[in-house]
Amino acid sequence: MKSKYLLLLPALVVALWACDPTPRQFENAASAEMDHDTKMKYAQYMQAGQKIYNQYCANCHMGQGEGLGQLYPPLAGSDYLLEQKEASLCGILNGQQGEITVNGIVYDQPMPAQSQLTALELAEVYTYVSNSWGNAAGLTLVTEVEKVLRDCEK
Amino acid sequence: MRNTHLFALVVLMLFAAASCEQPAPEQLPIMGHHRYTETDTVYHTVQYFEFYDQDSSLVTPATFEGKVFVADFFFTSCTSICPIMKSQMARVYTAFEDNAEVAFLSHSIDPEYDDVARLNKYAGRLGVDSDRWHFVTGDKDAIYDHANQSYMVFAAENELAQDGIEHSGAFMLVDKDLRIRGAYSGTDSTDVDRLIREIPILLKEYKDEK
Repeated sequence: MKSKYLLLLPALVVALWACDPTPRQFENAASAEMDHDTKMKYAQYMQAGQKIYNQYCANCHMGQGEGLGQLYPPLAGSDYLLEQKEASLCGILNGQQGEITVNGIVYDQPMPAQSQLTALELAEVYTYVSNSWGNAAGLTLVTEVEKVLRDCEK
Repeated sequence: MRNTHLFALVVLMLFAAASCEQPAPEQLPIMGHHRYTETDTVYHTVQYFEFYDQDSSLVTPATFEGKVFVADFFFTSCTSICPIMKSQMARVYTAFEDNAEVAFLSHSIDPEYDDVARLNKYAGRLGVDSDRWHFVTGDKDAIYDHANQSYMVFAAENELAQDGIEHSGAFMLVDKDLRIRGAYSGTDSTDVDRLIREIPILLKEYKDEK
């Protein structure tokens, strides 16, 4: 009886260690295509991005990026987030005012600036939201974000 | 022998797990300060109020006659705890959408900015089309006093707070006699689950009386 349970233990340990560097909850169609080094970086971005998201974004965009009614737009499956990457990154940093159309619906609630975030943190949180809840845009590197931020309209 | 031990352990663990789930109370407490007269107990009740809702209708205690209601304090431009509170309140609202005995009352604590038009837009965008969820505005001092005195919910202007107003995220459950019967954290979905479980307990009290 007891020995049967004991056999399960090494199996569990092996199962845990056999994992590739991407924690399972972050895997998506984009991460499946990455080489090992990119995957390592992706996993780090996703983990850090998740923390930033929960601290600064989840209040309005909600735990599964679903948004709230027609008050706060969703991030899950958001055409704006995925297709207007520059505007999204600048919007997170500098805040947004006025109407914004997401998936054909007009939203009009101001978004506060998160000017305390560094370029790396913006890259992490953007990578997280664009690769969660069905989104699979792949890694957005800090170097790319730095370039985008130079052209943000203040 | 060993099997018996294992069995006992499993039973014990099941008990431990089961005890985590608090049993639903048979009757909800009556909250607030009680005064005792020679013949009666006088309970704390929500004081008289007059506010205007998203349809410009006057909202007073009479609006909630024959209903229990859930009250909270928020403002439309709040980006801290309010969106979570509203998503949780919407969950409660949906759970009791077909029950005419349950109503909702959300007070703006930024009433100068949150005028009737703004509240109307906010309610519409949240997806509330029923007249059972009132979003109200009114005199600022009256609303702040009402929060602190009637509901024992903290609300105050504070330059240091995010968006300039510091406030509690509590949902207060009020019975048909305007007594406060429950306080729940509007940002904690587990506590809001408790509210959803406890509203029927409160309604049952009135059925039993009949």
